[in-house]
Amino acid sequence: MKVLLFGPELYFLGMALVLFILSLRRQVNIRIDHQVALGFAAGGVVVASACLFQQGELFFAAYRVDLFSQIFKVALALGLFLVLMISHNLAHIDDRYHAEFYLFLTTCTLGLMMLVSAVELLTIYVSLELSSYSLYILVPLRRGDDMDIEAGVKYLFIGAVSSCFMLFGLSYIFGATHSTYVNEVMAKMPELVQSPIGIMGLLLTLAGFFFKLSVFPFHFWAPDVYQGAANQVTTFIATVSKAAAVAVLLRLVALGEVYGFGFTQALWILSIVSMTLGNLVAIVQKDFKRMLAYSSIAHAGYVLMGILTLSEAGYTAAIYYAVAYLIMNFTCFMVISEVANDGRNLQIVELAGLYHRNPLLGLALMLGLFALAGVPPSIGFTGKLLVFTSAMKEGYFWLVLVGAVNGTISLYYYLKVVYAAYFLEGKELPAVHIGLSTRALSYALILIIIGFGVFPDRVVELARVAVKGVLL
Amino acid sequence: MINNIETYLYIAVFLFAIGLYGVLARRSLIAVLISVELMLNAAMINFMAFNRFLAPHPAVGQICALFIMAVAAAEAAIGLSIIVAIYRKMKTINVEHATELRG
Repeated sequence: MKVLLFGPELYFLGMALVLFILSLRRQVNIRIDHQVALGFAAGGVVVASACLFQQGELFFAAYRVDLFSQIFKVALALGLFLVLMISHNLAHIDDRYHAEFYLFLTTCTLGLMMLVSAVELLTIYVSLELSSYSLYILVPLRRGDDMDIEAGVKYLFIGAVSSCFMLFGLSYIFGATHSTYVNEVMAKMPELVQSPIGIMGLLLTLAGFFFKLSVFPFHFWAPDVYQGAANQVTTFIATVSKAAAVAVLLRLVALGEVYGFGFTQALWILSIVSMTLGNLVAIVQKDFKRMLAYSSIAHAGYVLMGILTLSEAGYTAAIYYAVAYLIMNFTCFMVISEVANDGRNLQIVELAGLYHRNPLLGLALMLGLFALAGVPPSIGFTGKLLVFTSAMKEGYFWLVLVGAVNGTISLYYYLKVVYAAYFLEGKELPAVHIGLSTRALSYALILIIIGFGVFPDRVVELARVAVKGVLL
Repeated sequence: MINNIETYLYIAVFLFAIGLYGVLARRSLIAVLISVELMLNAAMINFMAFNRFLAPHPAVGQICALFIMAVAAAEAAIGLSIIVAIYRKMKTINVEHATELRG
């Protein structure tokens, strides 16, 4: 029954085929398109959850199915479902392209799912490109001004160049180790890092992934793409693809473990600069999406902090933080796409008076932002707590200190948004009406943000078991 | 002279450098796309050279090269379609005109 191991991927491949057929129809019916996509995505969550405890290897051991990969697959399927939930109103995308929009979201999710299971360099590369290429198409799909197409061009070419760097690095790793399997490369790591060619290869490869994670110094594409892409696409990039990037980084950094000091020191610097730069630049932003883009750079720094400890606790914290970030960031983006229901870019001042224009969305926004800032008792706080304590245990005092200071700085601009929503009157702005599904979604997100913040044990325990398989 | 690995590695680095220079210096999007292809080819030469001279298994590098070719073709298709779209909107494919997003 090896087919079952590949279950979630096969399911999403089938879903992509159905959506492809839908996109070929001459008469467009956007309601049906959305319902089909949403129904399939809900099924995808079920399939991915059913395959949670699968174990095994596929395709000449190029593809490993374990708890670690399956947890991330559930998270990815859930992320796709959530993004489709808020896609009921795609005002800024031509009706004709709705089915294609869902199609490319699905292929992107498929690519990311393959990415989290891939343990062979060529497989990693191909699945990474499958997901990136889908995003390259999704970003310029927005209609209207020229902003989208400019964002699309920037994203495409920066992405293409960074994947060239990665590929060049991979070729050196292949040359130095004569293998493309991650575990065989890992075994030869000590001699690899002694040779200049091995170090070059490793650094170039990691550069490609840092681009995906938008860690400094590969962050500059993020704000432009966030601002230029349609709100739902931005949501997807900011949540789902981030979670997958963390997963791959965890697997790959486990590679550098034997190298020790110099390697972690490089990550140490990246983490600090990424946090500080992201937070400081976010302060001056007026566009809400752009602000979240810079804050995502900062959050990449926090996740790196967990990863660079190279310990079980640190990895567990990083997984928890990645999933928590997916949820809390999604909450903010849900509010954006509901308030900006004509698909425009939302300025922070436009959130004025959200507490009376729509109390539920106001509450969700506040909790989402509090979670991002790390205010207890939200999941964001628990995530930061886990990351900081794991770094502290390994003796990274200064790193934790910088992280804590950064947390305080970030509080300032998150609270600025909360201030706009709760203390500005905004009498002239219209009330925001939301449908039943969005209302249910808001309640669910609020419950998750508080619930898993107060009782994180089960998720943490699951993450810990998953990490054991990766660290070996 | 020709039949050793260093020659091929130098050629690859050289190609990669040309490609990178092209990406940074050229203003036309088509030229940038071509430069990106050069960089991909540099990686491909590396794979083939390592495969020819060092690898115990003779097929792996070739398979990598084949995959890169296919992926590069897909990339070119997407790149060109976006370039066509940008030309329809802006009537130019010069990157200097794409400067609306700032901050």
